[in-house]
Amino acid sequence: EVAAGAAPYLDMRELRSIACDALLQESFYQHKKRPFLYRDQDHTPGPFLTQLVSTLAAFLCGRNPLLAASSLDLKPEVNYYWHHGEEVVAHGHRKGRVDPVRFQIDDNPHLQIRVPKQLPQIVPLESDLGDVPVIDHKPSKLPLFKKQYENKVFIGSKVADPCCYGHTQFHLIPDKLKRERFLRANLEDQIEVLYRANGIASLFAWTAAQAMYQGFWSEADVTHPFVSQAVVTDGKYFAFFCYQLNTLALTAETIKNNPRKNICWGTDSKPLYDVVEDGSVKGFNDEVLLQLVRFLLNRPKEL
Amino acid sequence: GVRQAQWLTKTKLVEGLPPAVLSIVDDPAHQLEDHEERVKHAVSHARLWDTTEVAPRREHYCPVLFEDLIHLCRLMSMKYPALTKRMLARNYKISATWERESILLQVRGLNGMLMNSVAPIPPVASKEEILATEEHVLETFYPISPTIDLQEVHVYKELNDTGFRDGYPYSHPHTLFFLESANIRPNRFRPEQLRAKMLMFAFGNALAKAKVLYGNDPKVLEQPIVVQSVGTDGQLFQFMVFQLNTTDLVSSDGVKNLVWIDSDQNLYEKAQCIPEVKKRVVTKPAGIYGFQPDTFKKFLALYLHGTV
Repeated sequence: EVAAGAAPYLDMRELRSIACDALLQESFYQHKKRPFLYRDQDHTPGPFLTQLVSTLAAFLCGRNPLLAASSLDLKPEVNYYWHHGEEVVAHGHRKGRVDPVRFQIDDNPHLQIRVPKQLPQIVPLESDLGDVPVIDHKPSKLPLFKKQYENKVFIGSKVADPCCYGHTQFHLIPDKLKRERFLRANLEDQIEVLYRANGIASLFAWTAAQAMYQGFWSEADVTHPFVSQAVVTDGKYFAFFCYQLNTLALTAETIKNNPRKNICWGTDSKPLYDVVEDGSVKGFNDEVLLQLVRFLLNRPKEL
Repeated sequence: GVRQAQWLTKTKLVEGLPPAVLSIVDDPAHQLEDHEERVKHAVSHARLWDTTEVAPRREHYCPVLFEDLIHLCRLMSMKYPALTKRMLARNYKISATWERESILLQVRGLNGMLMNSVAPIPPVASKEEILATEEHVLETFYPISPTIDLQEVHVYKELNDTGFRDGYPYSHPHTLFFLESANIRPNRFRPEQLRAKMLMFAFGNALAKAKVLYGNDPKVLEQPIVVQSVGTDGQLFQFMVFQLNTTDLVSSDGVKNLVWIDSDQNLYEKAQCIPEVKKRVVTKPAGIYGFQPDTFKKFLALYLHGTV
């Protein structure tokens, strides 16, 4: 796990009050109707996350000049398309020919911060921290890659935008994948897997799309690593991820002599608070808030 | 339109923004560095860059533009730490009822976004101006009834609710935001009707707050309550500052409420998504034309009002 951006003095009381106020407003003080069926995430955790991030970013922009030049997107679209591996065409008039396997990710983070300067690299470009597991079956067996409609590459805004590097994304877990459902189906070990999969897939798509905006592709590999961060949450439990893209060369020809690997660091999900009762938040966890603040304060060394 | 809303809320209209807000607009200390660049980027982002299609629709770019402008305003909390004491409430519900010459009126429902703050906005008009409104006669439009075009409903409970529970720290309504973002023109409010809607809801919020603070008896308020509102359709902005001086609304005499309206401020003239080409020559490259920085300065001034 990587913590970046040490601050000289952080007013924990102020930060805690910002977080608690946002939480209390959305869950307690504001009069709201009952949530719609299976739309619990839009009722409380979604607005809470938006409030928390926008107020924290505004509070911390004095510390981090990168935040002062940032652009905040609500529910943006992030897409990436790439080739990896090969397969033999099974049916049709092209039967028997060898084709690259096409992957497309279409992602909708809840919130995204884009900045005009790249975050610093965490480890050098050529470092090797382990091996990548090999999976043989077709991507359409996995639910992420079942439907592929349009092949798009998009980071959240077009190429002309000056804020073309990514800083932090915030993802909200949908209702179908709530913790309670996993616990009821006796699948506790799969909860962390869900957070990790979301982090890795979304961050890979975002960093690779940023690299493509700068002109790199599988034949012209990246000259410096692309780094972005993500926070995956369901409103109460937060998991933090940090990704370094070292290589885009994943097609069958270019991957043969490519020693570089992309690396993702992540934490397990931890609760930010225990319960909200009668206008106060019980069991607030400062560690999680501090990690979030450190993420937001991350910036290149020169600034 | 606005004249009907004035009669219904017993308000006197003043053109242009109040001097307190105008002084914030003109003060160069209350601006971000290179703010013109930033606002142009915000407009370009909302109108040109935010979508995988060629041009985003109004339903998409109107909220995005608003979010970008509010993000820029929030960054001012670098200079003024008291600005962090503000909370934006989307989908808030307001209800307020009052009687106006034996007609019972009410304002209710989900309508826009509300920004609350811990501290109230100080009154904008001086005591003399408030007393001077006593002589002002409200415009009536005989023979048209003042309640024309209002929806007639059966009211079983006379509700007055600010939308939040007691003990909420950000208890003073500061600014209301209305986004007319329907794609088709007939579904959007015309500027005149938008201004009337802004006035009615600003009045509703101020009245609900007054009843919470000072009780249900109609009286002239010692400390007038000020609520601002901003309405836009993605390009044209309407700014309004409303001051509630009295809750005595049954009769048409006495002290009146005050509203300052600055209408039809364009932020930019045209946003060209694809370059205009005539006879194979690019006549107009893609971009934003006719940008007016003053409109954003007024937006920022309304945001900062009450803190500086």
